[in-house]
Amino acid sequence: MEPLTWTGGLGDVLDPLFLVSIIALLVSAALSIVVSVATPAQRIVVNPDGTIAAAEGLPGLTAKAQRWSLYAVIGIALAYVVGGAVLSWQGAGILGGMSRQLVPVWISLVALFAVSVATKRSTGLYGKLFDSTVGMIGFALVMFWVFTALYTGAFGLIATHDPLTQVSGMKNEVPGSPFSDEGYPFYLLGGDNLARDVFSRVVSGSVIVVMIAPLATLFAFMVGIVLGLPAGYYGGKLDTILSFLANLILAFPVILLFYLLVTPEIRQTGLPSYMGVALFLAPIAFAAVLIWSRYRTQPSRAYTLLAIVLIPLVWLYLSVINDPSTPIDFLGGIDLFDIAGGVLTVFVSVVFVNSPTVFRIVRGLTLDIKTRDYVAAAQTRGETPWYIMLWEILPNARGPLIVDFCLRIGYTTILLGTLGFFGLGLPPESPDWGSTINDGRRLLSIYPHPAIVPAVALLSLVLGLNLLADGLREESLRD
Amino acid sequence: MKQNPDYAGPILEIEDLSISFFTRLREIPAVMDFSVTVQPGEAVGLVGESGCGKSTVALGVMQDLGVNGRVVGGTIKFKGRDLAEMSPSELRDIRGNEIAMIYQEPMASLNPAMKVGKQLMEVPMLHDDVSEKEAYDMALQTVTDVKLPDPARILESYPHQLSGGQQQRIVIAMALMSKPALLILDEPTTALDVTVEAGIVQLVKELGTKYGTSMLFISHNLGLVLETCDRICVMYSGEAVEDGRIADVFDKMRHPYTQALFRSIPLPGADKTARPLVAIRGNFPLPHERPPGCNFGPRCDYFEAGRCDARPIPMEDVEPGHHSRCLRWDEIDWAAPPEATETPPPNPPGDPVLKVSNLKKYYQVAANALFGGGEERVVKANETLDFEARESETLAIVGESGCGKSTLAKMLMGLETATDGTIVMGNEEIQSKPIEERGPGQVSQIQMVFQNPFDTLNPSMTVGRQIIRALEVFDYGANDAERRERMLQLLDLVKLPREFAGRMPRQLSGGQKQRVGIARAFAGDAKIVVADEPVSALDVSVQAAVTDLLMEIQREQKTTLLFISHDLSIVRYLADRVMVMYLGHVVELGTTDEVFAPPYHPYTEALLSAVPIADTKVAKKHIVLDGDIPSAMNPPPGCPFQTRCRWKSEVPGGLCEKEVPPMRTFGAHQIKCHLSDEQLARMEPVIQIAAE
Repeated sequence: MEPLTWTGGLGDVLDPLFLVSIIALLVSAALSIVVSVATPAQRIVVNPDGTIAAAEGLPGLTAKAQRWSLYAVIGIALAYVVGGAVLSWQGAGILGGMSRQLVPVWISLVALFAVSVATKRSTGLYGKLFDSTVGMIGFALVMFWVFTALYTGAFGLIATHDPLTQVSGMKNEVPGSPFSDEGYPFYLLGGDNLARDVFSRVVSGSVIVVMIAPLATLFAFMVGIVLGLPAGYYGGKLDTILSFLANLILAFPVILLFYLLVTPEIRQTGLPSYMGVALFLAPIAFAAVLIWSRYRTQPSRAYTLLAIVLIPLVWLYLSVINDPSTPIDFLGGIDLFDIAGGVLTVFVSVVFVNSPTVFRIVRGLTLDIKTRDYVAAAQTRGETPWYIMLWEILPNARGPLIVDFCLRIGYTTILLGTLGFFGLGLPPESPDWGSTINDGRRLLSIYPHPAIVPAVALLSLVLGLNLLADGLREESLRD
Repeated sequence: MKQNPDYAGPILEIEDLSISFFTRLREIPAVMDFSVTVQPGEAVGLVGESGCGKSTVALGVMQDLGVNGRVVGGTIKFKGRDLAEMSPSELRDIRGNEIAMIYQEPMASLNPAMKVGKQLMEVPMLHDDVSEKEAYDMALQTVTDVKLPDPARILESYPHQLSGGQQQRIVIAMALMSKPALLILDEPTTALDVTVEAGIVQLVKELGTKYGTSMLFISHNLGLVLETCDRICVMYSGEAVEDGRIADVFDKMRHPYTQALFRSIPLPGADKTARPLVAIRGNFPLPHERPPGCNFGPRCDYFEAGRCDARPIPMEDVEPGHHSRCLRWDEIDWAAPPEATETPPPNPPGDPVLKVSNLKKYYQVAANALFGGGEERVVKANETLDFEARESETLAIVGESGCGKSTLAKMLMGLETATDGTIVMGNEEIQSKPIEERGPGQVSQIQMVFQNPFDTLNPSMTVGRQIIRALEVFDYGANDAERRERMLQLLDLVKLPREFAGRMPRQLSGGQKQRVGIARAFAGDAKIVVADEPVSALDVSVQAAVTDLLMEIQREQKTTLLFISHDLSIVRYLADRVMVMYLGHVVELGTTDEVFAPPYHPYTEALLSAVPIADTKVAKKHIVLDGDIPSAMNPPPGCPFQTRCRWKSEVPGGLCEKEVPPMRTFGAHQIKCHLSDEQLARMEPVIQIAAE
């Protein structure tokens, strides 16, 4: 079989058009900047029906040109995707092939956006996100990777080959190379230096990233919240001590900390496991206090709820911290699962370095919110401090926390990439993006594709998260 | 440089101005068909409730409506020139130079990182290109003009080193630096204490005369406008509803809204049993839900269906210079008294439920919070408080910020424990029992209503949930159903529809939120309710309704109401007894009639004089206090009020500076003052209602 070109037969028609519209977009964008500097601020005209419109004239013209060339670029990009999904192999090339593999993702994205836009007036802040272009782009990028990870991890749909299998003859093949064996007939994005399919490794890598990053961030938030609320609420000595500890951790070089935590000698002492024991307690403490403070006046109901929530949580907790290969091994038969080698360490390190920052944000918000009258009202009716912290203060701090959560998932993703790049934590053959970039780095000048593809993947996810956070922040401030 | 200095016409002409804000959902008209003219040297008051568009007008004049706001019709002419046709650089030239604006919050208008002198000098250096030396001289002169002590030192200080009143004087000085033709004051005294406010108001009046500046005075306070302005324009829901000379509008009002507004504010002569306030029914319409025809129609007593709601109402001439936006202004009998409402007589005060004797609260403030140590300072927040409150009695606690009323409330609630003295509630001493040690019964006995309606409810919990939570904490009811039923009854009690149980606080207006706050306080059948300025943050028309509600519940439940306020008008209206506090001391205590009639404590006298009264028939003595309230950290020796007292010279031997005066008793009336009996007897009443 012939190797695939990037855009196949479709490209013969679309490529020149695409090039022209890109150039048109750049030129019109540059022009409109020049024009807006040269001409006075445009007057906005109010139409009788209550709408407003920019006045015509030179600025209006360049703005129009810019808008239409942008539409052209988007339209042609869509044509690549749709064309690829329906045309034959040679008709749509590599892009088409990938587009066809990703059909479940496209369908899910379109469905999600259709439902969300239709109901955007009734879904609060989430709905408002769909008024912001930046937010929508960010959300689309993030959900693209979430869906990709979901279909790859749970249904085995998107990957074309096994991410770990090496096939002789495919070593360092360029993108679009035909596959010599049974199965999917191409290595869409080529092979790496161990002759594994780059496309399959990237989508499999997304599973690891999409699972660990949000979860680790969530735990960091739990720890930060459980410590930040009392620090801000009580103030005084407690605040001084906790803030000092947080500063201490923040001042410690992160990479050095990671190196220390994953060094075999340190791991043998069980230090990361002990830290896990402490850090993973935070969600349990959080849930227990949350329920008890709310239902303390109705003890019977409180006990039932505590039992329902805490028993599974504690079991999960014990299973997570219990691992035969570490000094903490006491559970025996009822141990539900063991976390794969190194993942726990990575998790612990990420939580450990992220939680001080969250702590400081929560503490600051608490200091502000605790001066409100509704907090005083809760105090004067004799509420416990933890009720006030968790039910009166925390819900009203949610806006900034949600935005920071999105940003922090991005940082965590980069951190995971960094860890993978240094070969820390995860096993060397793991398809996660950091390790893959590190693998591809050695032959970068001859075969760039094995490193560039996961790098672009990492970039797009983090960019998406940052845009999403921007959109959320912007929309939560607007009315 | 000033534009056409020889211009003689009106300074500001606003004609048929309409301003809209554009949101993602719709256009929101904020101001519609608004016209006003300001002549040179004239002060025009712009009065209305929050959301009526009065500040939007001011921003329109400054051409500073933000990205969403647009002038969609009409013109604003400044000295005959249309502001909309000016270029940005021409506008920059006018702002701060010919039109100056003073905002509500002085600290927000000053740069905290720059010395006051530098900020003042910037104005002429920017607009008039003068040398630094000249600018400094001008700054010194203006600071002297706004009557700040030690001008040279003030110029060298940073804004945070000045008190709120001093900051506002600096803002005024900055506005006057360029000798503007028009001064816009947007609620310039709302953030200040009454006695400080009185000083600022007097200053603004004097400066207006001295510099010949025209003024656009925006306020919600009719009394303040009466004291400062020549003409008044009343706004309602984006429209001017009535304008004219002060005397015309105050005494011969020709619009139902203006009339309703005057009937809802407590003027001298109002009485909670004989002549109760009349609240305006209904709610202020949202800008996008305005009714057809007359905006005030749905709340108007004179509404005529088919006529008032048929088409937009034009502004009509009542007499030259007096306009009203009412179709029926010449049909209504304006002299008719309000319909008398049946008010049951108040309960006679019962047994004392709360006894406070010799109560003291001192705070220890360590100089160094991190490691302790250092010099410890003592803040005397409360000094020897002695009073009692009886069942179904309203005891008003009056004082300005820093007088210790909040500390007293905290001690009553159990959020702080007393340093010395006793608080007896029922038969139990609670002064050293923090709230954690009080049982649910005791906690629910004494509850609080808070000042700021926008802050009193948790924004992320439904109204019903918040009331039910209070019931849960007070151990009310055996199950959820009972508590829910009780919650609905409480909503009935505060006259809110039962559907509100499922609403979020942001869907409620300020008055409605305050009602929920009251329902929450009464959830456990409170015997004593501490109301901390419960209506001061509400609009006047809503104040009356909330006040009436509080009194009605009090009548039904025989509650003791401790009403904390700085607004003497409302205190006079609803209180049975009044306690005046200054710097942690009770300076005067007596029945309402006793406190509001001579002999006064000198502070009460000044306080009474400072409160603006919206009645042209009232003659008031002008007593303006110098300086600010001293810090509680560093109180003056002897009498706490001696630094500002105008009677101090009458006491021989400098006694005021040496000793805290004793509590003098005249029957139940107590005054803490060194003045002799004859001197006290010589005092004249501050407020006199002219004979009709």
